[in-house]
Amino acid sequence: MKIENTKAQMRKGVLEFCILSVLKDDDAYVAEILSTLKDAKLLVVEGTIYPLLTRLKNAGLLNYRWEESTSGPPRKYYGLTETGKLFLNELNTTWSELQNAVNIVTSQKTTKK
Amino acid sequence: MNKTVNINLAGIFFHIDEDAYLKLQRYLEAIKRSFTDSQGRSEIIADIEARIAELFNERVQNHKEVIRIKEVDAIIAIMGQPEDYLVDDEIFEDEPEASYQNRTHTPSKKLYRDTDNSYVGGVSSGLGHYFGIDAIWVRLAWIILFSAAGTGILLYILLWILVPEAKTTAEKIMMTGEPVNISNIEKKIKDGLDNVTDTVTDVAKNVSDTVSGAAKSASDAAKNVDFKKQTKKVKSSSSAFFETIGEVFMFFFKIFAKLIGILLIFIGAVTIISLIVSLLSVGVIDIIQVPWMENAEIFNAGNSPLWLISLFTLFAIGIPFFFLFYLGIKILINNSKSIGNIAKFTLLGVWLISVIGLVVIGVREASEHAYDESFTEKYELNITANDTLKVKMVTNDVMDSYRRHHNSFKVANNENGERTIFNSDILVAVRSTTDSLASVHIRKSADGRTYDKAIERAKNINYNYSFNNNILMLDTFLSTSVENKSSDQEVSVILYLPEGAIVSFNNNTKSFLNYHKNRSNIISSKQTNLLLKVIEDNTECLDCPKEETFDVDVDINNETSGLKINEEGVEIKGENLNIKVDENGIKGEGEEVKVNIDSDGVEIKSKDN
Repeated sequence: MKIENTKAQMRKGVLEFCILSVLKDDDAYVAEILSTLKDAKLLVVEGTIYPLLTRLKNAGLLNYRWEESTSGPPRKYYGLTETGKLFLNELNTTWSELQNAVNIVTSQKTTKK
Repeated sequence: MNKTVNINLAGIFFHIDEDAYLKLQRYLEAIKRSFTDSQGRSEIIADIEARIAELFNERVQNHKEVIRIKEVDAIIAIMGQPEDYLVDDEIFEDEPEASYQNRTHTPSKKLYRDTDNSYVGGVSSGLGHYFGIDAIWVRLAWIILFSAAGTGILLYILLWILVPEAKTTAEKIMMTGEPVNISNIEKKIKDGLDNVTDTVTDVAKNVSDTVSGAAKSASDAAKNVDFKKQTKKVKSSSSAFFETIGEVFMFFFKIFAKLIGILLIFIGAVTIISLIVSLLSVGVIDIIQVPWMENAEIFNAGNSPLWLISLFTLFAIGIPFFFLFYLGIKILINNSKSIGNIAKFTLLGVWLISVIGLVVIGVREASEHAYDESFTEKYELNITANDTLKVKMVTNDVMDSYRRHHNSFKVANNENGERTIFNSDILVAVRSTTDSLASVHIRKSADGRTYDKAIERAKNINYNYSFNNNILMLDTFLSTSVENKSSDQEVSVILYLPEGAIVSFNNNTKSFLNYHKNRSNIISSKQTNLLLKVIEDNTECLDCPKEETFDVDVDINNETSGLKINEEGVEIKGENLNIKVDENGIKGEGEEVKVNIDSDGVEIKSKDN
């Protein structure tokens, strides 16, 4: 059992949720999503995000539009679809429940000791 | 100076160094392989390319600047290795960390039989992968070998047996020498699937009956990724035929090999165990100094420690047998663990050291006998020509024997309580001299590594005699201190007797006298207990019952006189005498009379009548 694997799995589990959260208010293109996630240290390498974005898009949670860029290739601006918003709400609830549950479990352990 | 390539990445134009370009291309190719079409491969790649273009754009200030390998490396570091693109659970099972951290490690190629591309046993294609050449050349080489010399067949069969089949995907990748990582495995699996679908479509085209079945199996294959079975199904019939023969052959060979393996294990184990038990006991006994080991110690003139000899012998003989044992285990148990190269080479080294050690000890021991030197002491004996000298041997409590023993010794305390070697290697000889006085020469000799050592050992030999009232008493033994070791110590007692002197050797000298007479020894061991007169270079017997003695010869056939006793009976033959007792009766013939007792009765006859 490798600690790196467990960490990566934990991070991966919440990654989709985080991507959706980043796009909650405003549309963003990949570099913006990446910088947010990287600042939060959720992501180490950028490669991971591309299959996830494609998957979310294919699942109908995201859509995108092209926008010309002054300093490079045209950018894909991702945004949440209606399904994506519902999905995100659902995930939000789950996350707070989960957070609560984890808090209870982990703090219980420390108080017991 | 570098060649540059112009590329279009997501619609943006870049100058890129050729090596950087190749690296980038490989990188993108690897990423492409880690996705399937169902995941939206082309879209993902397009997105990644766009991102790379963006990142390049940040790094290149104006369009005249060229992208070098440094930039590509930086991009790869940001984007991550192909494995990082995989988001499915499987990637976490295979330790992706290790695989991308040492990606630069040299891939190790292993020899496997490639049964997916086989005609007979997959040996050729396996060798082809191994040497990086097309299997067709290997096959041609085999055909030449087969036709040129039959040994090629044997070699092929040997390789077939010895080279394992590449069964797992990892083994198949190792066979081609590529590093085993996710992207390679993925690629291999996809290639395999492609192959299956290709062959299946071919089959479907040709044989309409099997269309449905093939389609079904193709979909099965796609579902289970069990392409191995599918390839087997469509494998050429030659391969299948040879495989059956091969299996039968392998079955018998395996039984035979197992038997040999058992035999090897048995031989190896028995030899090693007996060696260890015998030699270690000797070695241990040497260390704890058991008294009887003194003998071995004394014999060991080279002074090499006995435990060292035991150890060397153990290794020199034991290690080859250990390898035999190991080979047996290897044969018996297919996937037995290797003892590892370090262990193997260590054992080889220890074996070489032991053999060299034994040779050195052997040379040392042999050189102990390099010099055989002697040292002579002379004493006058007060005997004149008319005296009768009596020679007798005297033994002691330790030896308690009147026999001469060559190369044997006893260890005991001497009268002063010192450990002493006693040895009965005493030779007594007699020579005639023209001097008026008799003398006795005691020649002591011993072996040694050097002249000095040999002489020293010879001088350290104690040998005693006494002379009283014309009786010469010679010891039956020599003695020397244990420090001198047993090193072929000998004593020759040479009596120089004036011509005309009379000498008588006691019976107990027999063993110490030479059997044959010659100029340097004028008495034979047959001549004990006789009065002998010394003449020039010889002796004369004074009290031999010359004429009176009746020599009985056992061989009756050639002699006029003799005695024969065997299962037939008794026969005595003399000059005028013949007596025969056998199954027929008794028959006697004298000078004057003849007696005959047989089935006819008793007959006594006088010769005159």
